[in-house]
Amino acid sequence: MRKGEGGRGNAEGGKGQGDDGDNGAAAARLPSSFRLPPSSAQAASASLGFSDYAGVFLMFARNSLIRDMTFRANFIIETISSLSWAVMNLGFYALVYNLMEHAGGRTIAGWTQHQFFVFIATTILVNSLVEALFMENAEELSELTRTGGLDFVLLKPMDPQFLVSVKKISWASLGKVLLAVALLAYSLPRIEGLQLSLLQLVLYPLYIVLGTLILYSIMIALAATSIWLGRNQSLYDFWFYLTNFSRYPMEIYSGRFGAPLRHAFTFVVPILVVINVPAAILAKPMTANNPDKLLLGAFAVAAAVGSLVISRWVFTRALMSYRSASS
Amino acid sequence: MAVIEIRSLKKSYRVYQKQEGLAASLKSLFHRQYRDVHAVRGIDLDVHKGEFVAFLGPNGAGKTTTLKLLSGVITPTSGTAHVLGFVPWERENQYRRRFALVMGQKNQLWWDLPAQESFQLHQKIYCIEPGAFQRTKDELVDLLGVGALLGRPVRELSLGERMKMELIAALLHSPEVLFLDEPTIGLDVVAQHNIQKFLKHYQQLRGITILLTSHYMKDVAALCKRVVIIAGGRIVHDGSLAAVIDRFSDYKVLTLQFADEQMPADLARFGEVLEVAAPRARIQVDRTEISRVLSAILSNYAIHDVSVEDPPLEEVIASVFAMSASPAQPGDAQAEHAADVAASAAK
Repeated sequence: MRKGEGGRGNAEGGKGQGDDGDNGAAAARLPSSFRLPPSSAQAASASLGFSDYAGVFLMFARNSLIRDMTFRANFIIETISSLSWAVMNLGFYALVYNLMEHAGGRTIAGWTQHQFFVFIATTILVNSLVEALFMENAEELSELTRTGGLDFVLLKPMDPQFLVSVKKISWASLGKVLLAVALLAYSLPRIEGLQLSLLQLVLYPLYIVLGTLILYSIMIALAATSIWLGRNQSLYDFWFYLTNFSRYPMEIYSGRFGAPLRHAFTFVVPILVVINVPAAILAKPMTANNPDKLLLGAFAVAAAVGSLVISRWVFTRALMSYRSASS
Repeated sequence: MAVIEIRSLKKSYRVYQKQEGLAASLKSLFHRQYRDVHAVRGIDLDVHKGEFVAFLGPNGAGKTTTLKLLSGVITPTSGTAHVLGFVPWERENQYRRRFALVMGQKNQLWWDLPAQESFQLHQKIYCIEPGAFQRTKDELVDLLGVGALLGRPVRELSLGERMKMELIAALLHSPEVLFLDEPTIGLDVVAQHNIQKFLKHYQQLRGITILLTSHYMKDVAALCKRVVIIAGGRIVHDGSLAAVIDRFSDYKVLTLQFADEQMPADLARFGEVLEVAAPRARIQVDRTEISRVLSAILSNYAIHDVSVEDPPLEEVIASVFAMSASPAQPGDAQAEHAADVAASAAK
């Protein structure tokens, strides 16, 4: 969880500084004498660092928690409903494996039951991070556009994508993180012949963060289309259809119909690496001489960076067409 | 040099022309008609440090659009503007730390939280040094008298109280330029007066530059020496409030109190009779006729009291709006109004 925050803040912090660089260039175009000197109160440094963004993020998180605590009943209901959804999902797969064992099978697409539980735990983990950090904010973006509330975001001396993306943290969704950890603790020792190495324990959270960032990028890029399309029109709902595909092992996408899907969802919209890579890192034995797996791991890093860059581009372009709403 | 410098600033929107009826709607799925709406049609304006300028105009005249352009929220179609030496729509952080925009119809405070939580957030976002933050906040809270309300969720505040909190939030980073878009809209007389008093005091205290739009002439009369009237996306007047009356109103209002119930029956020959309630009468008299009419009345009737006043500001402004909307471009005012409507509908 903390890793997720740090990674997110870091990425944005870096971008904020990049912006300032651009602004510096723009400022240089004007003769310096033309600039009115800032008043003493504004003498604060012009460029924002990681700590500034982290400070704002923590304030968002704090205010969200205060808000969530105000509506206690709602908070409890949300926690329970999101937990029970995860538990029911889990029960369904337990049932499937149970049925399979009766029929004499042991694995689905190479995943044993406990390995697959690790896969599900990873799904829950990534999804709860996305829900907690970004989902409410992406949903609100079209509302902000419609009502002109985006005006206030654009007035602030900070990166607008950062301000829009993490304004509200949904703490209720974090309850599922505990469930995921419990599920990992239950399943991992039950996987036959699995010896966890330090490398696996380091890589797993790293790829959780990368997967979260990929899902975030797709989400914010789709939500940002509401700025273009206006009113309540947005491609945001598309995110849910798309990410459905990420919830299954990529091995099931095979054959005449499966293979093209697998390629599209790996290389075009890289949602298949989101869960698959971290889950495989933890649940399957790490073998150095598996070039495919290494390549996929390297690709996942590139996919996360690429997704962020593209989402940034889409968001920035969308902002340019912002027209604000009448007062 | 000027704090705000605007040169031939234009903003037009392309809006989808909606037709009535289902058939037309279906047709518009495939073939859409657009038209350009010119919200701001070329504005030139200089505002100097420490000025408190009122922006007046009918709905859809382009006031808010201009403020949004100067805040960098939207980008102009053509023309230039500099505020504090910055081009607003480049949205430089350095610029955004030095101005504020307050919109009376929108709120930026967290609805479910006490205002003080939003203030702290602003401290972080604007990187305000803790000591300065505390001082400024205390000062503003004190001036507006909202100390007891700081811990109450914003949704539980009255409109006037909320507006005060919005003002505090906007002023925490001590902006040098302040854009106020109808800050007193919907407020009762007392709340309006409080906000006016505060703005006047704060502006004098800090010497900041303020651009205000308002539909309340009381706001304008109380606060602004300089008035810019904008209609149909153009500036039609720029000067003092008194000059507006001199320029746009050609009559004065004469109030007479007759002695001994002796009222002349044919008051109408002096001018348009506005009100008769014996022994008092109000007559609208052509400005050039005023001395002749006055001496005629005073020499022919016994008068207890007399006063000569300018017509109410609201009326003058209304006639300016009406004048600027009609002759040159018929339908302009409607088109501008449509611009605002369309801009919001398009969202």
